[in-house]
Amino acid sequence: MQTHIISLLVEDQPGVLTRMSGMFTQRGINITSLTVSPCEKEGLSRMTVAIKGSESELEKVRKQISNLIEVVKVVDLGESEAIVRDLCLLKVHVKNSEARSEVMQLAESYGAKIVDAALDSVTLELTEEPERINRFVDLMRHFGVKQLFRTGVTAIGTGAGLER
Amino acid sequence: MLKSLNILQALSIFKFKGDTYTIKGSRVKREMTGVKLSGAEIVVEELKTEGVEVAFGIPGGVLLDLYDVLYKEEAIRHILMRHEQCAAHAADGYARVSGKTGVCIATSGPGATNLVTGLANANMDSSPVVALTGQVPTSVIGTNAFQEASTFTITMPITKHNFLVKRTEDLPKVIHNAFYIANTGRKGVVLVDLPKDILAGEAKVDLHPKETFAGYKPNIKPNQVQIKRVVEILAQAERPLILAGGGVISADATVELRRLAEFLSAPVVTTLMGKGAIPESHPLCLGMAGMHGQVYANRAINECDALLALGTRFSDRTTGWQLDQFAPDATLIHVDIDTAEINKNLPVDIPIVGDVKLALSEILKLLEKKRAKKSGSEWEKRIKKMHEACDSCVEDIPREGASVSDILIKEISKILDDDAIVTTEVGQCQMFAAHYYMTRKPRTFISSGGLGTMGFGFPAAIGAKVAAPDKKVVDIAGDGSFLMTCQDLATCVESDIQVVVCIFDNRYLGMVRQWQELFYEKKYAQTGLGVTPDFVKLAEAFGCYAERVEKPEELKDALNNAFESGKTAVLDMIVGKEDKVLPMIPPGGGIIGMIGTERCKHI
Repeated sequence: MQTHIISLLVEDQPGVLTRMSGMFTQRGINITSLTVSPCEKEGLSRMTVAIKGSESELEKVRKQISNLIEVVKVVDLGESEAIVRDLCLLKVHVKNSEARSEVMQLAESYGAKIVDAALDSVTLELTEEPERINRFVDLMRHFGVKQLFRTGVTAIGTGAGLER
Repeated sequence: MLKSLNILQALSIFKFKGDTYTIKGSRVKREMTGVKLSGAEIVVEELKTEGVEVAFGIPGGVLLDLYDVLYKEEAIRHILMRHEQCAAHAADGYARVSGKTGVCIATSGPGATNLVTGLANANMDSSPVVALTGQVPTSVIGTNAFQEASTFTITMPITKHNFLVKRTEDLPKVIHNAFYIANTGRKGVVLVDLPKDILAGEAKVDLHPKETFAGYKPNIKPNQVQIKRVVEILAQAERPLILAGGGVISADATVELRRLAEFLSAPVVTTLMGKGAIPESHPLCLGMAGMHGQVYANRAINECDALLALGTRFSDRTTGWQLDQFAPDATLIHVDIDTAEINKNLPVDIPIVGDVKLALSEILKLLEKKRAKKSGSEWEKRIKKMHEACDSCVEDIPREGASVSDILIKEISKILDDDAIVTTEVGQCQMFAAHYYMTRKPRTFISSGGLGTMGFGFPAAIGAKVAAPDKKVVDIAGDGSFLMTCQDLATCVESDIQVVVCIFDNRYLGMVRQWQELFYEKKYAQTGLGVTPDFVKLAEAFGCYAERVEKPEELKDALNNAFESGKTAVLDMIVGKEDKVLPMIPPGGGIIGMIGTERCKHI
């Protein structure tokens, strides 16, 4: 079981998301994460879907997704050739000033920003590769993670810009 | 100036009923830009542009505006069905016989949910159907309004595509694309959900748009490199075999199929959906392969060294379950219009994505350049012997082990002419027909393959008869199946559609009973149907011609009486209660592991 990232260009129509996710549901594939946003072309949206599954399973579902009328383009993004990012917002418990400064130091070394602070907590934002976010979150668990939000991955191909 | 003239023309069409029919009937394509019309008028106008001549449907509250326009419309014949499922099956049957897109109409809520089975059936068998459904007004969608169901989400997984129209001005593009998508590429069902206010509302629109979806490019041109590889394989093959699926018929590639088969002296076996792709009386046709296929069709698949599979998805009913018996020594070539079918059920050696007709013509062209026609091979002799064995089996009447059902189908096959259309219900009656009925022309054997819908055959026969009024149409039914949709006998009588229903009456859900007999120690759990109804009286109550056929010898006269009655007719044919469809591949078996072959002649 390997994580695959599929990047889709779809028509910006109501129901596209249901149709697309239904395709995975019908085949019993669990979606790890999913992001939808406008893209460089008007009237189209870009979806980035991360799924776990075998190569052959993925191949079948990829073809079936290409068949959907509103899907304009499907690209498999291999992890090595893509820039993959996830955005994480987390609220960390800080019981005293010592903990607070430790959290802030660690945040700095990971490139996380402090976006909010309260007497007993600090809210951090980190945009990174999913693996690095995992490590950062694990670290923060020592202090106590009150809330964790992640957007799920979005990815772009490297190089001149044309998707393969 | 020109524009205002167009508007005047358009208005005259809808306002002055009397003199406009000829304009409509002649189907003159008018450019219509910036015309103000109601949603319902736009729908009907676009239906006519798409060449729709007939629609099967049932009106309802939210469809009043649409039916109000249809009421004035003479270019479209509306056939009032008695159940929405039948409307969908009739549209499906119409599409399979005519090759044109079938149209069905149902109201919101229960009307739409009743359509679901019929739509799933058509979509599974890649039959081009457009369904129009009413929907509650957009202002109350999502409020559990009266007769509201989320048709859009319910039908998403059982259609090729569907639309929920939110603005009247979107209607021209939506209707045009519905038909374009339904009848191109791998054909299928497109549903358009029409809220009441969208149909009632008016909008200034440009009619007959050409605009389509950027992401929809039905792949039809086969890859030349792959074609060359296929020609190479076929030219060298010693034991070539062609497996023809429904795609051959749907692509109208039957002439090319026959030419290639004859050029290569390659035998042809078909799937259930492929019946009719080549005349089953042709010396190279070994008949249907698979679970209930001919023994020698299956054996040929096992023995061939090159298998050219055309427009088929290798369903388990065709391949059996022991895939090591399916063409083990062969180079597997798969031609299909749908990329998603390649390597889905079976890994293949050479895939070709594209239109079967185009692929076959190109293969033929290159092959003819490459070598001369071949004949007289060992394989050909073997095929001839195989053919004779299965043929003699069909001829032997009555013979040891033959059931009444076998005999009746063979009789029907003899009595009907080459052009007659046979539809089937699902179960034993269907498999008896698939095994013994000699299909001689494409689009004359209409059966529910993928979904296996009991109750399909009779409404499909209605659609078939509407598509081909000059041809005889016979539904081969079981008593269980027929009872599921028989209320549409009323449609036949009221709309004067003459079909003949031949009920293979064994008072059992026969196929399930057969499996209980063979694999569940004869425990007939819930498969006995008792003694009611009296099908003759039932049919007569609807005003149909009806007769009971107690013995096979009575069939010929009964069928003639039925056709001559000029009415829709029901023949209640009493068959052996425990007739079995044999031979068959048992569940989990492979294509050379058929059981019940004692009945077959061996070579």
